[in-house]
Amino acid sequence: MLSRVASSLFWMARNVERAESNARVLESRLINALETSEYGAVAVSDWETVLDICASTEEYRTMYDACEPKDIAYYISFHRYNINSILNCMENARNNARSIRDIIPEELWETLNAHYLTMQDEDYKTWSIRRVHRFLQEIKTFSYTMQGIVESCMLREEAYHFIKIGKWLERAEKTSRVLNVVCEKTKEAEELTQTSHYYYWLSALQFLNGHDAYLKRFPPTMEPSQVLSFLISYEQFPRSIEYCMEHVREGVMKLEDGKVSHYSEELFNALDHVTNEFMKIKFQKISTEEIGPFLDRFQNDCNRISYLFAGTYYFV
Amino acid sequence: MLQNYPASSFYDEMMADAESTRPHYEKFHRILQQMTEEELHEKHETAQLNFLRQGITFTVYHKDGGTERTMPFDLVPIIIPPDQWETIERGAKQRVRALNHFLEDVYNGKKILEDGIIPREFVENNQYYFEQQAGGLSLPHKNHIYLAGIDLIRDNEGTYRVLEDNLRNPSGMSYVFQNRFVMRKVFPEFFFEHDICTLEHQMSHLHQALLSHVPENSKNPQAPTAVLQTPGMYNSAYYDHVFLAQQMGIELIEGQDLLIKDHVVYMKTVRGLQRVDIIYRRIDDEFLDPKEFREDSALGVPGLVEACRRGNVSIVNSVGNGVADDKAVYAFVPDMIRYYLEEEPILPNVDTYFLRDEKTREDVLSRLPELVIKNVGASGGYDMLIGPQASPEEIERFRKKIQETPEQYIAQPTIQLSRAPAFQEQRFYPCHVDLRVYAVGSDDVHVLPGGLSRVALKEGSLVVNSSQGGGGKDTWVLRKGGSEHA
Repeated sequence: MLSRVASSLFWMARNVERAESNARVLESRLINALETSEYGAVAVSDWETVLDICASTEEYRTMYDACEPKDIAYYISFHRYNINSILNCMENARNNARSIRDIIPEELWETLNAHYLTMQDEDYKTWSIRRVHRFLQEIKTFSYTMQGIVESCMLREEAYHFIKIGKWLERAEKTSRVLNVVCEKTKEAEELTQTSHYYYWLSALQFLNGHDAYLKRFPPTMEPSQVLSFLISYEQFPRSIEYCMEHVREGVMKLEDGKVSHYSEELFNALDHVTNEFMKIKFQKISTEEIGPFLDRFQNDCNRISYLFAGTYYFV
Repeated sequence: MLQNYPASSFYDEMMADAESTRPHYEKFHRILQQMTEEELHEKHETAQLNFLRQGITFTVYHKDGGTERTMPFDLVPIIIPPDQWETIERGAKQRVRALNHFLEDVYNGKKILEDGIIPREFVENNQYYFEQQAGGLSLPHKNHIYLAGIDLIRDNEGTYRVLEDNLRNPSGMSYVFQNRFVMRKVFPEFFFEHDICTLEHQMSHLHQALLSHVPENSKNPQAPTAVLQTPGMYNSAYYDHVFLAQQMGIELIEGQDLLIKDHVVYMKTVRGLQRVDIIYRRIDDEFLDPKEFREDSALGVPGLVEACRRGNVSIVNSVGNGVADDKAVYAFVPDMIRYYLEEEPILPNVDTYFLRDEKTREDVLSRLPELVIKNVGASGGYDMLIGPQASPEEIERFRKKIQETPEQYIAQPTIQLSRAPAFQEQRFYPCHVDLRVYAVGSDDVHVLPGGLSRVALKEGSLVVNSSQGGGGKDTWVLRKGGSEHA
């Protein structure tokens, strides 16, 4: 397989996964915003959380003065200058797919293309929050459909593995990003009010679609250390970092036929390193102070794995 | 349904006169009449949607970049009876054989110029004549033309004439297959009663012909590695490239995927470098190799032509084919056929006048409103004047152009392009059509049964190019031995 093709497969999957996670984060924040009526510092800080997870607050501030829900929803969903806006992610995914449409299943291309065409017909300037809700729902449904097509139509060959690795890497990074931002916000809030804030941990679970699952396993109390270990290393939760990284590793193993060769050695070492880090957090409780640096390190490791992965398969 | 279909002096593909259809259209017409207008409209819509959803598009360039568009599909097919097809087929093969001799000759010896059959400057001053790059290349089977797209029109007598030879990167073959595919899906009722030459297995001809271009130094001559090179997804014919690569089961690559080491061409794969033997390139000569052509080409691969020169790789269609499909050289193809093959041309040309000759020029300038003027270097319906449809301002503009650079233009009589009914916006009306047939091969030339019928959907328009709003029709070649009264 051409390196360029592998790279497009990888990025197509990442872009769709990114669109889906951003849609979920924004959606759960929009629903929460309806329930919590208090405005002011907390509300603004809540919206900043969303911006930091899905885009960048700093960049947003260069374009808007205030943190208005409608502006933020627009910025995350449709803004052309936000490189990670859902619209841009979907368009990138479609362009990735278009450059490799002879490689992917016809149905996958058609679904992606049909979605792109519908988006082309929309007039985003006049959109209401209600329409945004529907859009986010459509994005999630699209992502599920796409994963379904990949799972049910694709030969378990190289193309499949590159798609899967892209998805799992993106997902792992997103979870670590959510945790990082939430940790930061909790710390700020605690310093401000001198009380424990479990509220953000609840949001983290919601952002990652893990609230229901968490409640089934743990009592309905928000104990930060429990939420953390659930999101970082709970083996049965498909958005926990460990789960995702296990699957990245599995994908690389499949690509390499279970063998470590000279050119893939560095990549395997990096993956081993991350696994070892998980062991630490599983067996020795990490304090909330330590978690920040841990997550920073993990995000760096993720970047490094992306980098090594690209190097191993000669992505341009 | 076809009542009120206006009869006129144009040759109509389907209707013999206002009342009666031509014999080979009778069955089709009968089935058509059993459908209601709503039914037709619905089917028409389904067909258009099919193209859109599948992303069967071409790109139209304008100042803000490109827009993807689908080629409008028209449901009334062009039906060709077997005897007529046989003439087309033989004529196209003959033409391609002669043109291939010509290319081999002008890049190796130039006998035809020595013998004064074609004025030397027509070849040597041609902007697509690349003697330095293509001169003396030794090609597998001495074959320059792997795929040709020959554009045919019918005049008001119904005689097929060649309008243009496309020997560089003729596009549109994907539409031939997709038109048929969509037609079968949307109008299955037509296919039960017609005995039509199938398009299946055509791809294996294409594939076999491609693989026969094994370069001298191939390491694997029994199973050479062929690839299709595209300029990328922003190219207007990108879908064509995707389709051909996919159907032939070869890698679709871009210039950036290739690398040359010691004059050998490799593609960059996730497992390292893999040797490439045959490149079916769909990128213009000028962009092929920055070392030999435009230095600023980002699409090309430096050293590609040298690799070809050394027999390490084959480039098809070969470098420098443009000199043979030029609108001025076109006028000499009948002479080439007589010169190289010692045969009489089977398919006639359209009369062509050269404007560099003063007497002809004066004559043409005095008759501009009745002629078609074409720039010899342009294609796709650009820089051309259709006299009978042009405004006085346009005619004056071309008069100036011709006076400034007469050698850049040719004139042709306005051909009364044949017409066929088209169904658009819930009604039938006559539209001008042409036909692009595809000839593929190396030692043997094979012509795909049918081809792309292009239709000028704008009423009265003579321009069938997709970039100018033209559409496509399915083309049926009726089988020999079946009833001629299809």
